[in-house]
Amino acid sequence: MRIRAFGLLVVLSCLILGIGSVCAAGEPIKVGVVLPLTGEQAKFGEIEKNSFLMGLEEINKAGGVNGRPIELLIEDDTGKPDVGRSAVEKLISQDKVVALTGGYSSSVTYAVCAVAQQRKVPFLVSTGSADKITEQGWDFVFRIAPPVSEYPKALNSFLSEVVKPQSVAILHENTLFGQSGAKEFSEQCEKAGIKVLIKEGYEAGAVDFKPLLIKVKAAKPDFVYMISYVMDAALLMRQSKELNFNPKLFVGGGAGFTLPEFAKNAGDAAEFVFSADLWSPTLPYPGAIEYFENYQKRFGGATEYHGAEAYGCIYVVADAIKRAKEISQAAIRESMAATDMMTAFGPVKFISYDKKKQQNQLPTYLVQWQKGILETVWPKNVATKPYVYPVPEWSKK
Amino acid sequence: MEVFLQTLVAGVLKGGLYALIGIGMTLIMGVMGIINLAHGQFMMVAMYVTYTLFHFLGIDPYFTLLISMPSLFVLGILIQKYLLNPLMKVDSILPENQVLMTVGIAMVLTEIARFIFSSNYLSVKTSYSSSAFYVGGISFSVALTIAFGIALLLTFGLFWFLIKTDLGRSIRAVSQDGEAAELMGVDSEKIKMITMGIGAALVAAAGTLLLPIYYLFPDIGGPFTRKAFVITILGGLGSTVGAIFGGVTLGLAESFGATYIGMDFEDMVGLVIFLLVLLFIPGGFRRLTKV
Repeated sequence: MRIRAFGLLVVLSCLILGIGSVCAAGEPIKVGVVLPLTGEQAKFGEIEKNSFLMGLEEINKAGGVNGRPIELLIEDDTGKPDVGRSAVEKLISQDKVVALTGGYSSSVTYAVCAVAQQRKVPFLVSTGSADKITEQGWDFVFRIAPPVSEYPKALNSFLSEVVKPQSVAILHENTLFGQSGAKEFSEQCEKAGIKVLIKEGYEAGAVDFKPLLIKVKAAKPDFVYMISYVMDAALLMRQSKELNFNPKLFVGGGAGFTLPEFAKNAGDAAEFVFSADLWSPTLPYPGAIEYFENYQKRFGGATEYHGAEAYGCIYVVADAIKRAKEISQAAIRESMAATDMMTAFGPVKFISYDKKKQQNQLPTYLVQWQKGILETVWPKNVATKPYVYPVPEWSKK
Repeated sequence: MEVFLQTLVAGVLKGGLYALIGIGMTLIMGVMGIINLAHGQFMMVAMYVTYTLFHFLGIDPYFTLLISMPSLFVLGILIQKYLLNPLMKVDSILPENQVLMTVGIAMVLTEIARFIFSSNYLSVKTSYSSSAFYVGGISFSVALTIAFGIALLLTFGLFWFLIKTDLGRSIRAVSQDGEAAELMGVDSEKIKMITMGIGAALVAAAGTLLLPIYYLFPDIGGPFTRKAFVITILGGLGSTVGAIFGGVTLGLAESFGATYIGMDFEDMVGLVIFLLVLLFIPGGFRRLTKV
């Protein structure tokens, strides 16, 4: 899964095209990336890998960093923490990378972060969003994406201003990401006076969610909040429709609910489902819409917030290397900590607050599927369409 | 009461499909004496066949059974003939080298699927994929009910074949005593090929029936290989009747576990039953049914 030749290829193609003057020359700077390229999360790994490569190409075409191109060494973590650990050990000891980025699933990212910290290599986490990743006091770990507890920020204001619900059922997949998100969200609900009737996990990849949904239906919550990957999300919605289960609204906590595959696989059961979202191409960030369109042109599929996180990351890494006093792991950590820049994913500045360290803070959004299109509906100043609420019952859709 | 009945219905319907997955592996186990660890991957291949036919030709998923089952039958025969039978003639340190071979086959099939279809999640959506009908307030998924019916038909068909036809009798003969069967003039290599074909075709049917309610990606085989393994052990190695009990037991255990203990423990409940059966009735349910 390595693409060592890639940087070289870019340089070569530039030379052939006769635009060598703007191309980076000199020894490439090695940056390691850990992503799930096979296994159940491969879909997300693919989006992030494509985005990393797109960003890399743009940076190297524009002259690289101080005249040197960046080279990305991408390793496959297969979605398993132990594989991720050995992949990152290899990147550090054998390939001698000066910085690391990537990190999709929380469990893998957490394991990889521990290694990065121990070996003192700066690691910019693109996705892995369990809160505890930036709560360990690790000074070599940075995160561009908000932690999972902050995903529902926009949702909370929507709930208190529009829906005013009394009760909620929280369903989550039984992983570090799901548990962490469910715990935080149930605490936020209780603080806001919303009763948590059911909070239950499930094993990702289950065939039949009906036993769980029957229980939830019987409890009659005002709304359902789900933290799921894409296909579990699609099945949950399809089976809710089958059971004719009609809470006031279904809300997804990011992850699977924003992918185009969710709408494709859930079909009409996706209609009017809300989700927390971290990014959309219509946001007023420089390069956001260009990134979205270029991605679609080049890879023939839609990208979403995971890709934008990766695309933002590679620019932040390049910026940190550029500002570093020397090309060393410690110097890049110093310069990364002082990052203050704008990316297509949003503004990036690593700050410490509450228990968190070196965490980027960003606003989040509430999106809703309307006729198969993901529309931003909250906050109102960035909305692309007005929200549809109350949501009609299944039989009336 | 409603929750209980709904759980029961969900468990039995799912169990019917599990039984179909388990029977194929059990047949192979009985005749070849090996666990086919590429079983879930055969199912994945069948699902891709169904997906392709549905997506490009617009054929209803249930009609694709007529294509997915024969194609997997042929695939099973080819694998047995060119990859597994030759291994039996080779002396090796490990007598289980055929089992190891099936692990390799599983990996190769998965990666070929990834190469052709990429890691994308695919699903087949029909007008009835997410519809349901109600009997006294209990919801029956239309797709799952049809799947259960076809699974029953196939199971009865298999029993008729095993009991009433010459070929079926030969398969049972090899399964009971391979050497004696050979002495009676049964061509055991041919029987093994046909058995592998039938096993693959049965799990292909399960895959095709499951696809309208589930989804598909290259790595989907692994979990189902594990489930088939559990069902085969539950049923008592090599017993087809046992496999039906094993499948329904696993389906019920998962459903009741999910409702009354918690869905986090869905897989665990199945595996705890698996351990209990191994501890207390090591021969599996076959010991109880004596079939």
